[in-house]
Amino acid sequence: MPLLLMLWFSVVVPKNTIMIKGAAPGVSDPATPVPEDGRVAERRYRNDYFGLSYPIPAGWSEQPAGPPPSDGGSYVLAQFATSRAYVLVTAQDLFFTPRPVANAKELLAAVRSRLDAHFEIESEPREVTIAGRTFHRFAYKAPHSGLHWHVLTTDARCHALTFTFAGTDLAALDAAEAGLQALSLHRDAPRCVSSYDAIVKKSDPTFTTQHFNTIPVRVIIGKDGRVKHIHLLSAFPEQSAAIIDALKTWRFAPNEDEIETGLVFGR
Amino acid sequence: MKVRRSLPLIAFGTFLIVMQAFAQVDPGVRGGIPGAGDPLPTVASNSPANILTFFSDAKTRFQEVASVKGQLSGESGVGLGPRYNSRSCASCHSQPALGGTSLATNPQVADATADGATNTVPYFITLTGGVREARFPYVADAAGNPDLTKPDGAVQDLYTIAGRTDAGSCTSAFISQPNFTGARDHNNIVFRIPTPVFGSGLMENIDDADLIDFKNSIVGNSLGIAGTFNRSGNDGTISRFGWKAQNKSLVMFSGEAYNVEMGVSNELFTQERPTSAEERAAGLAMQCRVNKMPEDHTNVDATTAVATPSDAVMFAMFMRLLKAPVQQMDPTKIPSIVNGESLFAEVGCNKCHNPQFTTVESDITNSLSNAPVRLFSDLEIHHMGTGLADNILQGNAGADQFRTAPLWGVGQRIFFLHDGRTSNLPFAITSHSSTNSEANAVISNYNALSTTQKQDLINYLRSL
Repeated sequence: MPLLLMLWFSVVVPKNTIMIKGAAPGVSDPATPVPEDGRVAERRYRNDYFGLSYPIPAGWSEQPAGPPPSDGGSYVLAQFATSRAYVLVTAQDLFFTPRPVANAKELLAAVRSRLDAHFEIESEPREVTIAGRTFHRFAYKAPHSGLHWHVLTTDARCHALTFTFAGTDLAALDAAEAGLQALSLHRDAPRCVSSYDAIVKKSDPTFTTQHFNTIPVRVIIGKDGRVKHIHLLSAFPEQSAAIIDALKTWRFAPNEDEIETGLVFGR
Repeated sequence: MKVRRSLPLIAFGTFLIVMQAFAQVDPGVRGGIPGAGDPLPTVASNSPANILTFFSDAKTRFQEVASVKGQLSGESGVGLGPRYNSRSCASCHSQPALGGTSLATNPQVADATADGATNTVPYFITLTGGVREARFPYVADAAGNPDLTKPDGAVQDLYTIAGRTDAGSCTSAFISQPNFTGARDHNNIVFRIPTPVFGSGLMENIDDADLIDFKNSIVGNSLGIAGTFNRSGNDGTISRFGWKAQNKSLVMFSGEAYNVEMGVSNELFTQERPTSAEERAAGLAMQCRVNKMPEDHTNVDATTAVATPSDAVMFAMFMRLLKAPVQQMDPTKIPSIVNGESLFAEVGCNKCHNPQFTTVESDITNSLSNAPVRLFSDLEIHHMGTGLADNILQGNAGADQFRTAPLWGVGQRIFFLHDGRTSNLPFAITSHSSTNSEANAVISNYNALSTTQKQDLINYLRSL
């Protein structure tokens, strides 16, 4: 075969690329924003799902993207860093916490209660106001490494949205935390209902392969009781297809609001 | 003019060299006694009666060299091939003692031509490079062109029995090695190194509920770590052995390795393995199906209890009854190691490399009952990012999901990460960070440490 023809037919697997997916997020429609779809533009991190616009601290750079949403409802939305400090932007879907947590305050209290004894508390969890919103702030440090953590979390559309400022450069952390005042976080959103059981009609999805995994599914239910939007946080492709097909046939009682809720399939 | 311009470069180069001298270094494999390879204490004291005999017999079988028919001198194991990666369990599991991992000298070089075999040593196998197995993420044609619509992922054994004195009519006319260079040229090849098996019985006897409890305990952590479990497709319980926690039990683990790595069919994996290309054609050549199936099985005509179980069952017994590695501190480094232990927790390594679980009651031997398991793993699978992804799916583990590698005994391991790409611990640590990795924030914490602190952390790891 002539060399050019051989090159034409040559296929090379891309390097450093995840080509073959296991359990992964999925959606019923690509137009509706989902939590993991943030982006950086004009030195701000923007997230349409949360209606979030966060100014990246001056001189800090975007770090490698985090993992996909977990089957426990956790998201790593973004990370920005300077040499010895970083901010990690995360969200925990309150529908899917393995142990019941009602809000961001309770989640932070749980983190505080589990903190290993040898960490030193710099500031117990307390309520603060940032950019006109209620946040809960907790600060601690590690005695040997000199690492500090300033954790600020707020309730945002069925999630605890958290900014964790961490590192050994305390001045950089303080400055970055102060910059949080310039964020904006607002969006008209459906009403969050953690356990919405006004189901009128349902059919269970049929899985052809058994994985025994947990499949968290966030749904938006229209005022007419139909499922408007389906977001699977972690599901194998055949599971996504089966669940989306099934949920499209579900009917809930009509409601005066749009409802956002969580369903768990699988284990 | 040119000379003047190069002076700052020389100065900068010298600066880098000086800085390098101050960077943290991996002290390498720690010396001293292995602290591994022995039986569990109650096994050593033969409680219950006869268990030490089982351990000793299993240990002998674990070291046995296999040949095709088991008739060659010193190679009494039956069933090698028709494809294989090596010829004995001990080939892969011997550093720093039997049951460990890859030795400094790779026996796979000699395996290529042992007993008259006519194999070419693949480009990625070297005397000092560590034992490796290869997988092709995608089905490929004869030239190595992958079909990106057809995931493969199966182990491509390095060698065939063609040419061996005991291969009968299985010649190179009927079987050939995979096209490894073609796979390399198309970036369609990934590697795995052996996992150490010390303390496996303790790992096997950790209750699922305790693993789930630990997973739940880190929800809301400040590091972005989540994790999940690989589960048995049969009963849904948590599987825990292998790089992706793809194997439920030690018997499954040994049965799979016996078939895949040595080509010995057995009661768990009952067929000889054709390549995907052979399967699409006429299947594995009849000329290369030398023995009756399965080649390893329960010895129903044995006259003693210890001789009755199959090799696969006894391999599992050996692994199950091996005690765990024990931490050893270099007396000259104790303050550094103690500080490193604190840093390990402060950085957040312990959110995945959980230092300790406890076993439940065991009906096998008391050392497995209510025992501490200092394995430094949560036995979960985590997204490790594009830098480590191998694009192999195993059970529920996806392309970049790997079981948290247990760190007990890491002080005496030579090769690190699933593919053995490095022998340098600092490099192995920073390789945890890449796009899509759950460990990015932890590595940011690590990078924020001073050089001395990083050295303390490395010294701690090398004490394990």
